[in-house]
Amino acid sequence: MILELMIALSVGAGLFGIGLYGALSQTNLVMIIMGVELILAAALVNLVAFWRYLHPDEPAGQMFVLIVMAVMAVEMAVGFAIAIARFRVRGSVEMEEARELKG
Amino acid sequence: MTVQMIFLAFFGGAAVWFGVVVFRTHSMVRSALALLFSQTAIGAMFLVMQAEFLGVLQIMMMATEMSVMAIFMVMFMMDPGGMGKMDMTHQKRLSLWAGGIGLLAALLLVWLPDWGPVALSVPGAHEQAADLGRELLGRSMLIFQSAGLTILTAMVAATMAAIVPNAEQRK
Amino acid sequence: MSILVVLLSLAAGAYALAVIERWAVHGHLSLTGPAWAALALMGRESLLARKSDRLFFELGPVLLLVAGLMAVAVIPLAPELIITDLATGALFLNAALAYVLVALIMAGWGPNGAYAMIAGWRFLGQFIAYAMLIVMPITAVAMRAESLSTVEIVASQAQLWNVLYQPMGFVLFVVAAMGLAWLPPLDLPDATGELAGGVEAEYTGVRLAVLRLARMVIILALAGATVTFYLGGWLGPWLPAWAWSAIKILVVAAAMLSVGRYMPRIREARYLALSWKLGISLALANIFVVGVIALVVPI
Repeated sequence: MILELMIALSVGAGLFGIGLYGALSQTNLVMIIMGVELILAAALVNLVAFWRYLHPDEPAGQMFVLIVMAVMAVEMAVGFAIAIARFRVRGSVEMEEARELKG
Repeated sequence: MTVQMIFLAFFGGAAVWFGVVVFRTHSMVRSALALLFSQTAIGAMFLVMQAEFLGVLQIMMMATEMSVMAIFMVMFMMDPGGMGKMDMTHQKRLSLWAGGIGLLAALLLVWLPDWGPVALSVPGAHEQAADLGRELLGRSMLIFQSAGLTILTAMVAATMAAIVPNAEQRK
Repeated sequence: MSILVVLLSLAAGAYALAVIERWAVHGHLSLTGPAWAALALMGRESLLARKSDRLFFELGPVLLLVAGLMAVAVIPLAPELIITDLATGALFLNAALAYVLVALIMAGWGPNGAYAMIAGWRFLGQFIAYAMLIVMPITAVAMRAESLSTVEIVASQAQLWNVLYQPMGFVLFVVAAMGLAWLPPLDLPDATGELAGGVEAEYTGVRLAVLRLARMVIILALAGATVTFYLGGWLGPWLPAWAWSAIKILVVAAAMLSVGRYMPRIREARYLALSWKLGISLALANIFVVGVIALVVPI
């Protein structure tokens, strides 16, 4: 059974790596949000794997997953709102052009 | 080799592969839908891991979220169909290194420690759903409530940020 | 065994529904009409648009069909006649039907045509309108049954059908279901009058046949869901259980197909405003009322 846990956690690690690469390398805000979604998905896989193989009698583990799903939804909503506001002002959501906060 | 392991590896492989496709394809709609199928494969992994409620919930929620993602991609990208084969990346070397190091570190953390005894059986699906409900409305009620409030705040804030300023006066 | 029975009855139901839709549209009853139409579609040339997204173009109708079949899998025709009795059946139905949206977006984007693409994205807007109104009435139903399993939801209605117990939820669910199956007056995704068929515009031949079949399966699945959640499923006197299910599902499906044809179409912005301002408040009130009744009067 330990191997199943390892497989699930390795999938989580893989998704985390891809998501990190995507969030750093993409120039477009929407694509960056997709990278972050992948990272959060990796967290989801890990949480469910821990719940299933280490603490199956603890419903709080499942609740944690629900909270992460809520975070994903909130992150998307706020991210897209920022994207719309930015697109309205600047006509693009390319992050190379967003250097106002760089100082 | 158990059946569970084979299915877990299959859906896990699918999730990772679709995750790679997200950043490799040029077509934006394909990219969003690849992310959707990656998330769906994760939902299938949940089902394999006998977390029925969470698996079904994941499969349901992601269909909506990623479809909304797709329309935003088409709205905001210069080349949504991917016909022009535009390059939309920057700091590629840094990102590759960061992603690679993150992946390696995570893998080390997965494979090195001793995870201790592994639970063999889980509660049945009916029991799980009932337990989760009692947890949500009992011990974790406050957390659940604050998650709900956070979503409400985010909805209001997102709408405020997105609507046209002074739309009332313009009418 | 029960899989085979359910699939065969599904095929029979889809054919009956095709006959009824023909009747509702053209005004004369013809029992062999849909068979000839299907044969004609099979023999027709399958056109492929230039610069299309081939993968999505092929996959869209198939995914639509698969989504419909998955939804049918949790609908009980009789106490034992169900493909899989999941502990989270009512939620699974939602999950399967959410992929109708994905399939339509794929089918709309795939052929590289303006009408199809507009129709596909328009369905996304329609989805935002109806999605909440599918889930929230089901919540009230599950509250009464104290379970998400479809079999137990039907069993919970032995005393009183949910259509009488929570009529508001019933109305909301049926309207939302008609939006989901893009039936008139909410048929903007394939608006025949204005978008030349919308999502269906670029499809011909076998692919169009699959698309139409998938839509029939989805209508049947939604009618089955309505019957399961609100009209007492297989419950009824005298006749055997499966007969009651079959009669109720066909009557609901026929009503959904024909009633809307006598109403004016609703613009999607208006539909969105109505569902969010009126529909969601009513659905929340419905959940509250059902909760109070369930606590005070145990039926």
